[in-house]
Amino acid sequence: MNMNNLKRILLVEDDPKDVELTLAGLAEYNLANEVVIARDGEEALDYLFRRGSYQTRPSGNPAVMLLDLKLPKVNGFEVLEQVRSDENLKMIPVVVLTSSHEERDLVQSYKLGVNAYVVKPVDFHQFVNAVKELGAFWAVINEAPPGSVKRK
Amino acid sequence: MLRQFRLPKQISAIRGYSLALGSVAAATAAGFLADRLRLHESIFTLFLLAVALTSWYAGLWPAVVAFVLGELAFDYFFTPPIYSLRLTREDLAYFPVFALFSGLLIWFGVVRRRVEGDLRHSRDALEVEVEQRRVLNVELEKRSDELQATNKELEAFAYSVSHDLRAPVRHIAGFTEMLQKHADPVLDDKSRHHINMVLDSANRMGSLVDDLLAFSRIGRAETQMTTIKLEPLVQGVISELEPDTQDRKIAWRIGSLPICYGDPAMLRLVFANLVSNAVKFTRTRPQAEIEIDSSNHKAGEVVVMVKDNGVGFDMKYKDKLFGVFQRLHSREAFEGTGIGLATVQRIVHRHGGRVWAEASIDRGATFYIALPKPER
Repeated sequence: MNMNNLKRILLVEDDPKDVELTLAGLAEYNLANEVVIARDGEEALDYLFRRGSYQTRPSGNPAVMLLDLKLPKVNGFEVLEQVRSDENLKMIPVVVLTSSHEERDLVQSYKLGVNAYVVKPVDFHQFVNAVKELGAFWAVINEAPPGSVKRK
Repeated sequence: MLRQFRLPKQISAIRGYSLALGSVAAATAAGFLADRLRLHESIFTLFLLAVALTSWYAGLWPAVVAFVLGELAFDYFFTPPIYSLRLTREDLAYFPVFALFSGLLIWFGVVRRRVEGDLRHSRDALEVEVEQRRVLNVELEKRSDELQATNKELEAFAYSVSHDLRAPVRHIAGFTEMLQKHADPVLDDKSRHHINMVLDSANRMGSLVDDLLAFSRIGRAETQMTTIKLEPLVQGVISELEPDTQDRKIAWRIGSLPICYGDPAMLRLVFANLVSNAVKFTRTRPQAEIEIDSSNHKAGEVVVMVKDNGVGFDMKYKDKLFGVFQRLHSREAFEGTGIGLATVQRIVHRHGGRVWAEASIDRGATFYIALPKPER
């Protein structure tokens, strides 16, 4: 992945198959090229805070972050907590995209200030539709907060 | 509590007769003192006191001994002629009275001891029972802790299994569909059919896993109990089913439903399952009839029934009806994973209620749920 490109969607997902399916969904709106993928919570934070291997990336926040909860190293909640407590990042819209139906995950996510909580459906159509609509809404329709990367 | 309830100690026979002897001796000694103080009339009472004391503490036979000894001592020391056992007219006035009073005292003593014996007996029996119950309670508590732990483990297991199963199922469905899309032009009909079967199975497994997850969630969720008006709840359920019912002829009969006490979201799920079952299993009927009404009930509970004129079931399977993934109809005839009634039963049991059904093949089915009224 070319790190110098500005991406509008940050997808934080450790399962490569889910990444592929999500990208397939986003491809239907030609949004697949707008995605930067982080394989765990630490990588996501590195990207957002522009450190580690992302030290040299141009500034600008993603228009939306699609966040899985069950992640290696730093889990989704911890990522969320850090994002929400940072002056520069707190406005990034965050959509939790998870397998978990659990009420406590839902409650904790909203307490930490997510903008949406989406359970990955088993059905492929539903999954693709969910991802497509999420991408379309947050990356295209929604007016992103100032400091986000504009769509060309 | 029982330990504070003290009964006088029972004393041995030897000590009983010693007490008889001692008390008569003491009465005699006190008699001499009274005689010296010119209180001649009270001497008689002193001997009665000796009999009473012996009867109280030592029982019947020592008291009889005390009576005889007291009689002799009284006669010998205190009635003229003194220091002689010879009877005089004066004695004849004293003796019957002494005998009568002594008799009464001894009788009181005997009755008291009998009552005391019974009390002691039942106290011992109670103590044994209390101890047994304590042991049983400890055991029960242990069993209940174990059961709870096992249950928690099972819930966690069911959750993580179904949770982790979901991802691969989703991947199978997703990639198969992509394959279907891209490879469709080069596939023959047989291959297309096979791909459809894979997709079908993956989706079915997906719904099984989702249902299992939902089912295990019911066991773990906290219930929020409140009073619920069932009528609007049932109306809401029926209008939610409209997509399935709009092309159907269904005669709804909704009676006056009671107000009950429970978790609104969970009870809604109960009625959603029962009513959608009624809708589903009347599908073969040109005119479906579904009745939701309150039913006869015992004190302290409300009973609601959901009755339909659908295909029914054989009552010999009534115990299987509420099992997880149990189905009494083929999947071709009626779709579904078989978790609905298991969910109903689980929720009703969590509310401390009962659920049962009556039906016969082709003659419709009636499901009853009984929920306890809140304690005032």
